[in-house]
Amino acid sequence: MNRSFSWKKGFFLLFLILFVLGFPRLVDAYFLHLAVTFFLAMILASSWDILARTGQVSVGQAGLFGIGAYTAAILFNRIHLSPVLGMVAGAMVSVLVAALLGYLTLRLRGIYFSITTIAFAEALSVIWLMTPGFTGGAMGLSTPPLFGGDRQQAYYLILGILALTVAAVWLIQSTRLNFAFTAIRENEEVANVMGINPTRYKVLAFMVSAFFTGFAGGFYSHYNTYIIPYEVFGLGISIACLVMPIFGGLYTITGPILGTIIVKVIEEYLRVTVSYGHQIAYGLILVLVVLFMPEGVVGLWRNKISPLFRPASR
Amino acid sequence: MEWADFLQSFANGLLIAGLYAAVTLGLTLVLGVMGIVNFAHGEMVMLGAYNTFWLFTLLGIDPLLSIGLSGLLLFFIGLFIYRFTIRPILNDPPLNQLLLTLGLSIFLQNLAMIFWKTDSRSVITPYSGISLSLGEVHVGLTRLLTFLIAVGLTLLLLLFLYKARPGRAMRAVSENNTASWLIGINVQKTYLLAFGVACALAGAAGALVSTVMYTFPMVGFKLSLKAFCILVLGGLGNIPGALFGSVILGLTESFVGTYVPEGSGWAEGISFILIMIILIIKPTGLVGTRRE
Amino acid sequence: MNLEFAGAIHESPLRGSAVIPMSLLEVKNLTKHFGGLAAVQGVNFAIGRGEIVSLIGPNGAGKTTIFNLLSGVYTPDQGEVRLDGEDLVGRRPFEICRRGMGRTFQIMQPFPHMTVLENVATSGLFGRAPKASMKKVEEEARELCRWVGLGEKAGMFPRNLPVADQKRIEIARALAIKPKLLLLDEVMSGLTPTETAEAIKLVRQLRERGMTIFLIEHVMKVVMGISDRVIVLHHGEKISEGPPRQVAHDSKVIEAYLGEEMENSEEPSC
Repeated sequence: MNRSFSWKKGFFLLFLILFVLGFPRLVDAYFLHLAVTFFLAMILASSWDILARTGQVSVGQAGLFGIGAYTAAILFNRIHLSPVLGMVAGAMVSVLVAALLGYLTLRLRGIYFSITTIAFAEALSVIWLMTPGFTGGAMGLSTPPLFGGDRQQAYYLILGILALTVAAVWLIQSTRLNFAFTAIRENEEVANVMGINPTRYKVLAFMVSAFFTGFAGGFYSHYNTYIIPYEVFGLGISIACLVMPIFGGLYTITGPILGTIIVKVIEEYLRVTVSYGHQIAYGLILVLVVLFMPEGVVGLWRNKISPLFRPASR
Repeated sequence: MEWADFLQSFANGLLIAGLYAAVTLGLTLVLGVMGIVNFAHGEMVMLGAYNTFWLFTLLGIDPLLSIGLSGLLLFFIGLFIYRFTIRPILNDPPLNQLLLTLGLSIFLQNLAMIFWKTDSRSVITPYSGISLSLGEVHVGLTRLLTFLIAVGLTLLLLLFLYKARPGRAMRAVSENNTASWLIGINVQKTYLLAFGVACALAGAAGALVSTVMYTFPMVGFKLSLKAFCILVLGGLGNIPGALFGSVILGLTESFVGTYVPEGSGWAEGISFILIMIILIIKPTGLVGTRRE
Repeated sequence: MNLEFAGAIHESPLRGSAVIPMSLLEVKNLTKHFGGLAAVQGVNFAIGRGEIVSLIGPNGAGKTTIFNLLSGVYTPDQGEVRLDGEDLVGRRPFEICRRGMGRTFQIMQPFPHMTVLENVATSGLFGRAPKASMKKVEEEARELCRWVGLGEKAGMFPRNLPVADQKRIEIARALAIKPKLLLLDEVMSGLTPTETAEAIKLVRQLRERGMTIFLIEHVMKVVMGISDRVIVLHHGEKISEGPPRQVAHDSKVIEAYLGEEMENSEEPSC
């Protein structure tokens, strides 16, 4: 693969990295908190995109998020598992659940897959409400503040996970996985006849996506100190997972990141102006994107489909 | 004791099935005629419910009488939505259609939250508490009336589809839109009308919903999921299937509510579990001839 | 050109021979029902290494169904399919692909968001056993594109290309897996006479390189011109088999076509 390395790009990236690393020292608690929520959202957006690359449009990522959140919270409360290990555990459990779900939904195409994922998240919500002994039910579960309230540590942790997520996306995009995922997404039957095992790659995508979504959930439960089923299994999370990458530009690295920033800024603004219903922006954005810019923000500025190989000469 | 419980449970299930059927009719119509799964259908019901609630609270209009008004209002809203958001995406890949109607759904849910807050509203009429006894079975008057009206709506729809010209056009288009176009049916107008009628049905169903359940911004989403379950159970895009599916769901929820410990909580999850089980075992739905 | 195709055997072509050669593909009692209807019923045939065999029949005879059964898209209700001695029944399409069966699709289905080169590289990356490195696959994909006549268009997207080029993509994609047996599904339809002649040349070149080819075709002229043998399908059953001239005069075949296609093939070409 020929990637031409541009100095401008390198410089920009370096500056970005330094800025992001030094950010906590520059700002106060509010912006630090904001950054954490932004990073969390970016993880959700990027991991949703990973799954979407195989044509599996999940509207139920909240199911995996909630599992991650509750695994961490329950393990902490019962066996005092340290928060970070709890997050890892949350990620692992999500991966297992996703593997199972992915396997079961292999034959589902398009909308039917999506409907099943919605049902999945809602079913979990009901199960959680009905088993308060184990899950805390509608009252939710509490955990003490993460790192004793040290927001800076939380910031670096979530930044690290975001970096891992982006690395995973980059890996997928720059290896033959990209071809497999794209082929399956565009035409699963033909991809199969061309030698691609759809099961392997679809389930793999689900598992990788679940790892990061689950981890994010685990992080959220400790960071937020309190979780309830209605929230962590809620439609709002599932919708957030998909609006940001769709708006920013699907199947790219920068799309989900960029989309998250813009959408989150709008959401934060709305959150202070209206007490409920601030997700109205999500709905509006989805409608407008489908109607007017199906390629997302990244697509707008690229203005054409970009080949998977970057050719040495044009 | 047992037999009475069973009959009561059966009756409750049947009654709620009527409501579910009313909710699902419009969704089925749009799917059948245009091949689009309208994720925002539940929000049409929600709007109908709120409309009825406000008409009742502010003007004192009886909910069961304002069905027509809710239906009419949603008919026009439906035409508007169709023209500006659905028509442009008729030939888009199903993924786009899903995302658009999903976006619409989220938009309307949150719009309702902004305007009317998240409180649950009830419509309590003077006759709300009246209960009739048919042998061992007790039936709320409101529920009964709701059921009867739902049946009436279904019959009206069937009459429309089989006797009225625009209705017959819809059936023709749902079977084969190229052939219909060739014989002179204005397919575009048929789509527009079908969407409007579907939303009108949703609005009417919403009026019924407001008398039997709480009205709140997410009620549409909850009902959407039940409607999807019914679609999956009964065949996608055909009305008898929707009725069949409604009865199955209604009865299952009711029996679970009666016979399973803490059943009323679990009953809420029946639709999701059914969706997952059916689609996983038979990816095209239980009866499903897959549309396209 | 140093293209190698797996399974290349340097035997003289068996054109016109009535002897069934050593078989690359053996199909016995192949049967498939959809609903209550038998799409394919009790079909037997064999294809020898290096042969070009055509599968013809009226519309709806079940030809593409046979291809789908061979490539694993459908699973047979009954019957055996052996490629180079290996049993293929019940295997999934990607496994069959890796065992050496390449195919094109009648309705062309290149991956829309990949360039021509990437389309060809995809099957090269996954359809071959053993797997090859990305670099090698890219090189070979470029070579293949050039060989089928898409050298300059390797960086373009399929939707911008004319029908004939899209067919080339299909063929190149199938060749990238280095198949033992190549299934061509109506590659000649919709082509101009010039393009048809080029396509025939390509098929002949493939055979010269040792490829075994099984093709579905409607264009009788092509069938008569390049086939060693012809198999005729009607209502899912094999009704005739043999060298082209023999089949063309088989009364059963003529009846099946009601004289239409046969007449067309006798007409002088423009």
